[in-house]
Amino acid sequence: MSIQEQYRSRAKELLGEGSVKMVIGYGVGTTATRRRPIFITSPDETDRLVLDASCRTNLAGYLLREGLLADQKSIAVFLLPDGVRALNILAAESQLATAQIVVLGFEIKGEEVKPLEGTAAGDFSAIIAERKEQRKAQPSHEMAVKLEEMTPAERFAFWEKEFSRCIKCYACRAACPMCWCRRCVVDNNQPQWVNTSSHTLGNLEWNLVRAFHLAGRCVECGNCSEACPVNIPLHLLNGRMTDEVLTAFDHYPGADEQQEPVLASFRKDDPETFIL
Amino acid sequence: MTDTIIPAQNNIYRPAVMKIAATRNEAPGVQTLRLEFQDPADQEKFAAVYRTGMFGLYGIYGEGESTFCVASPETRKDYIECTFRQSGRVTTALASAEEGDLITFRGPYGNRFPIEEFYGKNLLFIAGGIALPPTRSVIWSCLDQRDKFGKITIVYGARTVADLVYKQELDEWAERGDVELVLTVDPGGESPDWKHRVGFVPTVLEEAAPAPGNCIAVLCGPPIMIKFTLASLKKLGFEEANVYTTLENRMKCGVGKCGRCNVGSVYVCKEGPVFTAEEVSAMPAADL
Amino acid sequence: MTKILYSDDLTTCFSTWRKEGIMTFGPVQEAGNSGFREVQDEKELDMNLILTSRTLKELFFPRTEPMLSYSIGKQQIETSEFLPSEKPCIIFGARPCDAAGMAMDDELFNWDYRDEYWFRRRSRSVIMTIACSTSDDFCMCTSLGLGPDSAKGSDVLLRPLASGKGWLVEELTEKGDKALQSIASLLKEGTEEAAPTAEVPVLFDLEACTTWLADPENFESHFWKEISERCIGCGTCTYLCPTCHCFDIQDEGDTYEGIRRKNWDSCSFQLFTMHTSGHNPRNTQSARWRQRIMHKFNYFSLKFSVNSCTGCGRCTRECPVDMGVRETLQAISTLQK
Repeated sequence: MSIQEQYRSRAKELLGEGSVKMVIGYGVGTTATRRRPIFITSPDETDRLVLDASCRTNLAGYLLREGLLADQKSIAVFLLPDGVRALNILAAESQLATAQIVVLGFEIKGEEVKPLEGTAAGDFSAIIAERKEQRKAQPSHEMAVKLEEMTPAERFAFWEKEFSRCIKCYACRAACPMCWCRRCVVDNNQPQWVNTSSHTLGNLEWNLVRAFHLAGRCVECGNCSEACPVNIPLHLLNGRMTDEVLTAFDHYPGADEQQEPVLASFRKDDPETFIL
Repeated sequence: MTDTIIPAQNNIYRPAVMKIAATRNEAPGVQTLRLEFQDPADQEKFAAVYRTGMFGLYGIYGEGESTFCVASPETRKDYIECTFRQSGRVTTALASAEEGDLITFRGPYGNRFPIEEFYGKNLLFIAGGIALPPTRSVIWSCLDQRDKFGKITIVYGARTVADLVYKQELDEWAERGDVELVLTVDPGGESPDWKHRVGFVPTVLEEAAPAPGNCIAVLCGPPIMIKFTLASLKKLGFEEANVYTTLENRMKCGVGKCGRCNVGSVYVCKEGPVFTAEEVSAMPAADL
Repeated sequence: MTKILYSDDLTTCFSTWRKEGIMTFGPVQEAGNSGFREVQDEKELDMNLILTSRTLKELFFPRTEPMLSYSIGKQQIETSEFLPSEKPCIIFGARPCDAAGMAMDDELFNWDYRDEYWFRRRSRSVIMTIACSTSDDFCMCTSLGLGPDSAKGSDVLLRPLASGKGWLVEELTEKGDKALQSIASLLKEGTEEAAPTAEVPVLFDLEACTTWLADPENFESHFWKEISERCIGCGTCTYLCPTCHCFDIQDEGDTYEGIRRKNWDSCSFQLFTMHTSGHNPRNTQSARWRQRIMHKFNYFSLKFSVNSCTGCGRCTRECPVDMGVRETLQAISTLQK
């Protein structure tokens, strides 16, 4: 049985026995290589599910749809390891209870899709630990290395140029499973913390504020860069923050749901004399 | 959706400057400003265009602009009065402005109440809370030419006695003798010396039972009050075409460009804010 | 006999225009993203793009634009205006779908009140459009009553030669004619044939769709929720749409001096219509997607007798969750059958 068939029948089973009310997965898209998120609520529709190497969007953010989990019923969701990490962070940040989530885990190696054993978020700790070691051993991206080699002035010029294209659509925020704030800081106008215009200052403010808010929370799923309509390599920026928390605190965001938020927890014996 | 009046302006986004001639606290968090144009040319343009029902965008540079009706009538056009509740960024800034301060104004925009069509008819004004201002503009437009209309009834209600606005004018209307004024506050909102009605507007209206024949009703209030009052009016025999109301949607441009205020295909800024209940019924309810 | 502009003459063409003080604009690619900007010469242009990722509207309706500056004294408020210059511009290499979009938005920006910021830029600009001989999976101009060589909104239409060495030149407006006069010596007479235009399949029955949309019964159809369930409300479709024109007005500065700006805004955003009271007429993503579709295919045409979609396909092409006008209208078109 192909992995797609295997997962379809698993979904069918879950819906059929009533253990989940919905399966969030991938379906065929506009073109042969495009996949789109789909929401299946009937066992008869599980053959609409697709699972292949094009299924890369992190679907964890959909779990936070208003009211979706309010009835305490469970939902199954297709997740890559990054997605499971996102789930762990959302649980750590009290946005959902992992007990309500059935994980249909998979990973993509090259063009091959492989099933991941487990159903609860906690079942995937081995692969996440493995990912952590990989992440520590090698940089996330070739360009990330180049950026490190630049002088601060060159690096600033690089980002200034990239951000100059920003059109302030906030697609990065909309696509990010970690951007769950009911009212984003940029949408606040009393006071107006962040300039809403998409000029140099406004763009720099927005992109940096978002990067800082994601420090230690970003699971590097790539939803932001994928969604950005002007191709700003946001993953490089957020990845850089991950480097920082990995080095400074050995913190790999979303390792498990007990993990304390790295920038929102404080200990009395903290060597720093202040907290931000 | 009566005719839209367009002021002659080159840059539609450039506001006029107005001086605050007077401020008045109406109710907790509710204030009235009396404004005067600084440039006689702006005053002239306003006077040429303004008709009761139109709205403006009142602004403080650095904070932005906020939309509300012109609460003063077309029969008194040498100043603008506006009444607002302090709630957002702009209204907070406006609330802290003092007599003598300068603010900006764009408008007047939108359509109007077709007051000539009301000549010879009885008028029933119904308002709830902070929605008396748009109604008040029509009330004064009619009272300033009192002989052109039949019986005039005003039903006004607020949550509490303190929330009633234009208290001085309420006294004035009560005393004139040619207006029947029915005041009410929600149950629990009365004070020990309250001599008027206690009850919600729709109930009080049904008790007052104004006759629908040859009568125009002007109804302004929060959406929930409008909904129930419309039902009461229907029960009393009023036809939707004879009931006027105003819609208040979020606006930025005021001139049909920015894309915010439409209800279905109707742009409130250009085709409103004054509509008959019949026109409102034709709009998609889910968009209101 | 028709006029031909050869690619080899483009350098002279651009330098002639620039010598005359005309600003030249065209499609440019940068870091995998493309749009229109001012160019010094034709070498900066990317002439191989089927369609730029960003639209032509940026040249007329920038994503952020200072409108007014203010300074506030004790006894006075001074306002000055940042009106766009009237310096002539030539936009070389627009696509028919984008050009058509500009003509559609003219209606809106001139609807009783004239938006000077838009029209100053419109009247100073000559749009020289290149007809499409290739298309991609997302192009759908033909479904919207337009086509790969539509003239709507263009001042000059250039049809690529079959040889690939230049374009057949067709002036469409007086403005276009004037722009061509200054390069008259570069326009050669010839009998070369134009390359066939792109074959863009018709994907849905537009009339069936607009009929369905016009029926008030369908406004609260379950269809809207189903079709927009995966929408994340990111606004990409609106920001990359040649005709989406919604904007916000924002002040930058303090209560002494600053700038009032016009910034792009989007009906996909929850805050767009939210009242101060907290009431929001379009409180769900499905209501907002319905608004976008209804606005393009019903409200706009009720007001201006034209739908405000050119079929450029960007909404689908760039959607992070693979939605778009295409899927919605295809689905409506199927509902009708």
